[in-house]
Amino acid sequence: MRAQLRRLPPLLAATMLLATGCAALDPQDDGPNTLVIHTQISGTAPGAEVFNAVVADFRRQHPEMHVKVVSNADDLPQVYETSRLAGKEADVVIVNLFDKTLEWTGVGATVPVGKYADAWGLRDRIEPEAVKQWTDGKGRLRGLPYIGTNWPVAYNMAVLRKAGVAEPPATTGELLDAAKKVKDKGGIAVTIGGSDWTGQKLLLQILQSYLPPEEGPKLFTEGDYCGSPAAMKGLKLFTELRDAGVFAENAQGLTSDTMTTQYNTGQAAAMSAMSSALGKVPEKTVKDTVVSGWPVPKDGVHDHPTMIRSFTAAGLWLSPNGAKKLPLVKKFVQYMYSEKVVDRFITEAGRDMAVRSGTVPKDFPLIAAARKAAEDKAVDKVMLPDVHIPGAATQPLINATAQAFAPGRTPQQICRAMSAAYERTN
Amino acid sequence: MTSSTRTASSTPTAPRVAPGPGGAAPAAGRRRPIAWAWLPAHALAWVYAAMLTVPLYYFLVSAFKTNDEIFSDPLGLPSSLSLDKFSTALHGARLELAVANSALVTFSALVLTLCLAVPAAFAIARSRSRWAAVTERVFGLGFLVPTFAALLPTFLMSAYSGLFHTRLFIVLLLPATAMPLSVIILTQFMRTIPPEMEEAARIDGATTFGVLRHVYAPMAMPGIATVLLLNFLNFWNEYLYSLIIIGPDQAQRTIQVALPTLRSTAGTDYGVLTAGTVLTLVPVWIAYTLLQRRMQQALVSGAVKL
Repeated sequence: MRAQLRRLPPLLAATMLLATGCAALDPQDDGPNTLVIHTQISGTAPGAEVFNAVVADFRRQHPEMHVKVVSNADDLPQVYETSRLAGKEADVVIVNLFDKTLEWTGVGATVPVGKYADAWGLRDRIEPEAVKQWTDGKGRLRGLPYIGTNWPVAYNMAVLRKAGVAEPPATTGELLDAAKKVKDKGGIAVTIGGSDWTGQKLLLQILQSYLPPEEGPKLFTEGDYCGSPAAMKGLKLFTELRDAGVFAENAQGLTSDTMTTQYNTGQAAAMSAMSSALGKVPEKTVKDTVVSGWPVPKDGVHDHPTMIRSFTAAGLWLSPNGAKKLPLVKKFVQYMYSEKVVDRFITEAGRDMAVRSGTVPKDFPLIAAARKAAEDKAVDKVMLPDVHIPGAATQPLINATAQAFAPGRTPQQICRAMSAAYERTN
Repeated sequence: MTSSTRTASSTPTAPRVAPGPGGAAPAAGRRRPIAWAWLPAHALAWVYAAMLTVPLYYFLVSAFKTNDEIFSDPLGLPSSLSLDKFSTALHGARLELAVANSALVTFSALVLTLCLAVPAAFAIARSRSRWAAVTERVFGLGFLVPTFAALLPTFLMSAYSGLFHTRLFIVLLLPATAMPLSVIILTQFMRTIPPEMEEAARIDGATTFGVLRHVYAPMAMPGIATVLLLNFLNFWNEYLYSLIIIGPDQAQRTIQVALPTLRSTAGTDYGVLTAGTVLTLVPVWIAYTLLQRRMQQALVSGAVKL
């Protein structure tokens, strides 16, 4: 008996090792009838619950298929790329068009989907501007656009009225005046996550104040900011706003989370945020919020306040493994683009879709207002720089724009730092 | 045995009252004078201990708060003690599965590490050959390999071995990363064991394995407990290799890979994130407490036997 007991620990260890490698907790492995979906819409991301629910419905409708969902958050591109190198990537990837993913089609990590968009009858379902944003310089449709986002400016009218400002500012002059009044009352005029992508978006939006739209793609692709008089004029405007105290104090250290908190708690009069963040504004602040665009200079290229309209928040990408399972992929993709599923994302999760739909997110009034503003001619749309900035320059450019929010940085210093972000792309 | 017997007999009878700063023990029956000279040290120790509790408190209360409460009043009490955020974290990231995976990977890797490191340290500690010294230094060289430098070759190895996207590869990899520290710590402990102990065991007919099992392993228990504790924390907290090698499959991913899925570019709910982190720390806290006690017991018993 004692001898048997002595053998127990090594036996247990061996069993554990075998269990680790062989007896997976998930009993079903990848096979020809298995569709593997790698998604960023997971955890607590807006729309994750809807996604889980619609996938569950899809499984019920297609018992002949095994649908396996795997997920990551921001680290999805890194995980997908290594999986691709090992030839074990998922069949369909649901991720945004940003940073690393911009390079995927070019390096063969994913398959262009233009012909499938036509063959599966999806092209007419997708917003034409979305197709444009997802098409690369060689005319390849990188992925199927699915979720978009607007970048409006939310104005807390209670804070503005308390400071003596009756209307959201529409021009730079009005913005400077409103900012001074709000600051005098001890408030924050415009809160922004200067250290992350929210700061980068706003700076590049202000930079476009004097930039003719046709110059944008070349500028953002090549990064010669110092060589563009229009960009330099935009950067000068940015520094004037910064030095006049328009942005929150120490904005260079703030993140998108601190930005939304300062706005949601009524500390700030305005924030430039993507529309999905507007879905989390508390009810009390929602009542006081007016959605509009960013004020423009009178001598700029835009007549009305500006807004970025993006359709790159999430798309369905086809991997080389997925291209071998087209019948399964087709069923899933067509299901995702069905009106019923798209409507659920709009009404239950308040997502802006890159798919044509007349459904209004009634339970998300600010998102509905942002969408209305984006379609309204009273707001000018500016270019989304993300789709032109090379993947390798994305993060360095965010670092450079973060420095721009620090007091004392001149337009020359800012443009040099921004251009330096492109060094690794040449 | 003489030395260990002497230590064992002297330890329990050692005077319990420590000498004062001057070195003289207070006389029996007289009231102990207050050592004012130590007051600043006591005060600083208490302040330091209090400062350590602040982040822990912040961490726990944040698990019950909304983002706005966390950012606007970081140290304030939560307005509700609802467990909704814990439920959301568990449900959203399937943390229960991730904890089970982490436990499986960590336990298996710890067993494998001990199976390899203890015999290796035993051989190096007993040998008088210069090759033993060389081997020990080779293990020491393992400290010089940066984590990121090993990532690509490790990835290639996993891909070519067919073990990519399996936990088995991580179970095999983690002991390899832990061997330098484990072998060096255990070798130092085993060198303190007098050779006479082995000679006595040999006279009694012990084989080499018997000497390891009945003499060296029990007496090196402080070292083994230390190695277990350090490696447990390292294995449990490992992120990069688990992310790349094991991948995103909920059925296989470890807790360090599952937790970040509670973050979102559209706005992270930090209450849910901290609730998820609290949940995943509970097993660590339990294991740490258990192992720490074992280590202390082992240290005491080791000292007695020596």
